[in-house]
Amino acid sequence: MNLSTRMIVVLTAVGLLSGSFLAIVGQVTKERIIFNKRHEIEMAALKVVPGARSVKMIYEERDFAVFEDRDEAGHLLGYALQAAGTGFQDKIVLEIGVNAELTTVLSLTIIEQKETPGLGAKITSEEDFLRYWQNRDCTKELTLRKPPVKEPGALASNEVNAITGATISSRAVLNIVNEAIKKARQLKTEGKLSGMN
Amino acid sequence: MTMAQKTIGQEFFKGLWPENPVTRQLLGLCSVLAVSNAVINGIAMGLAVTFVLVFSSFLVSLVRKIVPNQVRIASFIVIIASFVTIADRVLAAYFPQLSKAMGPYVPLIVVNCIILGRAEAFASKNKVWPSLIDALGMSGGYVLTLLLMGFIRELLGNRTILGAQILGQWFEPWVVMLLPPGAFIMLGLIIAISNFIEFKIKERRRQP
Repeated sequence: MNLSTRMIVVLTAVGLLSGSFLAIVGQVTKERIIFNKRHEIEMAALKVVPGARSVKMIYEERDFAVFEDRDEAGHLLGYALQAAGTGFQDKIVLEIGVNAELTTVLSLTIIEQKETPGLGAKITSEEDFLRYWQNRDCTKELTLRKPPVKEPGALASNEVNAITGATISSRAVLNIVNEAIKKARQLKTEGKLSGMN
Repeated sequence: MTMAQKTIGQEFFKGLWPENPVTRQLLGLCSVLAVSNAVINGIAMGLAVTFVLVFSSFLVSLVRKIVPNQVRIASFIVIIASFVTIADRVLAAYFPQLSKAMGPYVPLIVVNCIILGRAEAFASKNKVWPSLIDALGMSGGYVLTLLLMGFIRELLGNRTILGAQILGQWFEPWVVMLLPPGAFIMLGLIIAISNFIEFKIKERRRQP
């Protein structure tokens, strides 16, 4: 065998072998990877509406999705809105729990973020940020409290605490939430959220 | 053979200190800088690199006489990329949390110079057994450096080790340690210290 034939044969063999091996690995892991992604999002959707036992996605578009949260008896408890927007560094993906009338934000959780560690990344901290998002009145737009107060009770009903030193990240979250609620309300008036008990 | 044969022990040990891929050869620095902000990330990245390095060294050494010299780099890269893809998929399927923390750095193992470096400098010229030992030693050196960096950066930047709080509230975390500048500072210090120690060792050897 001369050199160029040998080169072709070896490279083809290496390519074929690794290709077919990777196809097998891809097949084996594919389902689990898809399952993991869905599981993570659904767990978050369950968590943001207290008392919910089942979730179902009822609406989806780019960077926005709505889940229905129901209790054991099948009563509609509220919706989980999954929304995304630009943060200080990169995309922030979060999930908001709202009641069925879309008047109260029940709670908030962050799914994905790459904010500055120790500053903007505090948006994932229950203690510093998320606990101030429980039971906020969202009939009006939510606003940011700056400088933040220690006691949740000291905030107005539509106010949430900013994080000291990370106003941009706090504001980014706030904007994503306000935007998502606006969208959900729009969908509701269009009758696209079933809303049936 | 002019070069003295190394024992198995020496072959392994050289990767840990005298030829440590990070502090002595300055290879694979990008991943070291990027994922050493927490010990757990260092462990995961270290294991992924170990897996890829050991298996690709093994395979490269196995096919070293079949692959023509002219296409060796291309073949090595395909072999390495295959193992990296396997590591990436398996992490995403069974350790989704870690896979998220690693972000793009697992696929980037393909271009980690340690792996192609060892394939080219060692595995393609040596038998299978020494190549495996060499790969294990080099991975060990890489993991040790990552752990050291992760340990210091997590402790100073977050007060924790492996997520468990070590330092009390009195210690104000050095946020810079978690950020890229902290990685550069720590890596510089570690390389400087290891150079200093190496220098002292050599000096002592010269004096009878």
